[in-house]
Amino acid sequence: MTEFLTTAVGLILAMLGLGLVSILRGPADADRMMAAQLIGTAGIAVLLLLGTVTGVPAAVDVALILALLATFASIAFVKKGLSRLETDGAGPGEDR
Amino acid sequence: MSIATVFEIALAVVVLGLAIWTIAVPDTYSATVGFIAYGLLVALIWVRLDAVDVALTEAAIGGGLGGVVLLGAAARLRGTEAMTMERPSLIVRLSAAALSASIAAALAVAILLPPNPAPTLAPDVVSNAGATGMANPVTNVLMAFRAMDTMLEKVVLLLAIVGVWSLASDQAWGGRPGPRHQADPNGVLAFLARLLPPAGIVVGIYILWTGADHPGGAFQGGAVLASMWLLVIMAGLVDTPPVRSRWLRLVLVAGPGLFLVVGLGGLCFGSAFLAYPAAFAKPLILSIEAAMLLTIATTLGLLLAGAPERSAER
Repeated sequence: MTEFLTTAVGLILAMLGLGLVSILRGPADADRMMAAQLIGTAGIAVLLLLGTVTGVPAAVDVALILALLATFASIAFVKKGLSRLETDGAGPGEDR
Repeated sequence: MSIATVFEIALAVVVLGLAIWTIAVPDTYSATVGFIAYGLLVALIWVRLDAVDVALTEAAIGGGLGGVVLLGAAARLRGTEAMTMERPSLIVRLSAAALSASIAAALAVAILLPPNPAPTLAPDVVSNAGATGMANPVTNVLMAFRAMDTMLEKVVLLLAIVGVWSLASDQAWGGRPGPRHQADPNGVLAFLARLLPPAGIVVGIYILWTGADHPGGAFQGGAVLASMWLLVIMAGLVDTPPVRSRWLRLVLVAGPGLFLVVGLGGLCFGSAFLAYPAAFAKPLILSIEAAMLLTIATTLGLLLAGAPERSAER
């Protein structure tokens, strides 16, 4: 079972690496932020698996905090991004 | 070499690469997003190093609230960045490079050449863990053995909020921080701002409560509560409170205030400042932490909301 979970960690880490490539490439800010969200989700999965494999139950708490704050960061990104689109004159945003 | 070691080496290489890219990329916004991802990955590394308390703080501050502060700053700077053509002179850049390189060299020396055996108080902390009735050594150090440092830290948070407020213009003095957010009441943002905070509040209080015996504590819990508060503000469901309001200021001083009262109590009835009577150590520490949870959540929320921009009447 441990081997299976470790392989799963490896796979998710590979996905996380692909997400990093997407952060580096961009090209737009939104692409980068979506990639950061993907990394956040992958990080939560890795933490849950690592907590089980290595017997650190507190890793679940770190995963909980990441889940809540990654959501918060993406919303903050959308709010700041919208206000920027408006100042660029790219059209009225839905909310401000 | 085991497969776990391979993963750890790969993770370390990825984090180093991302850190270098974050410094090198010219665009502020991209650098900020890189920094948020970097915070998430560093939290993973702290868990692998068995420093779960640090991982919690890194996830809450490095990846979450700190990232949002930087996003806000990047959004604000974007307009001015395009207009600045001025480049620092060669001497300024060379001396900045020399300063950074010497700091990096000093850090490298400190890390690569530690005294042998390394000075540590960890065995003392473990052997005295029973004195407070709490099993988490980090909480023991923060709240009992080095409680003075923690109390002064909370005072620093108060000073920080005073510093942010002092940036307000004369008209907005004592008013509400940040813009008034408006969102579609039936939109997805308002829905999320109703759905997420109940779960987030439970998680925040749980992180405080579990901090007595397992990794966790008031700061991490307070950061979660602050993010939930800001989410509701950003969705336009509530407005930021005017900074002149009395209850707000009472909450801001509640944590350090209670800490100080308990500390003076130790001076009057016990042996020293902040000496907890052994029978009441755990209840006293938990009540200080509960007050600090509220104070930290409010302080972090207000730090992110920024300086007052509107007068309270509007």
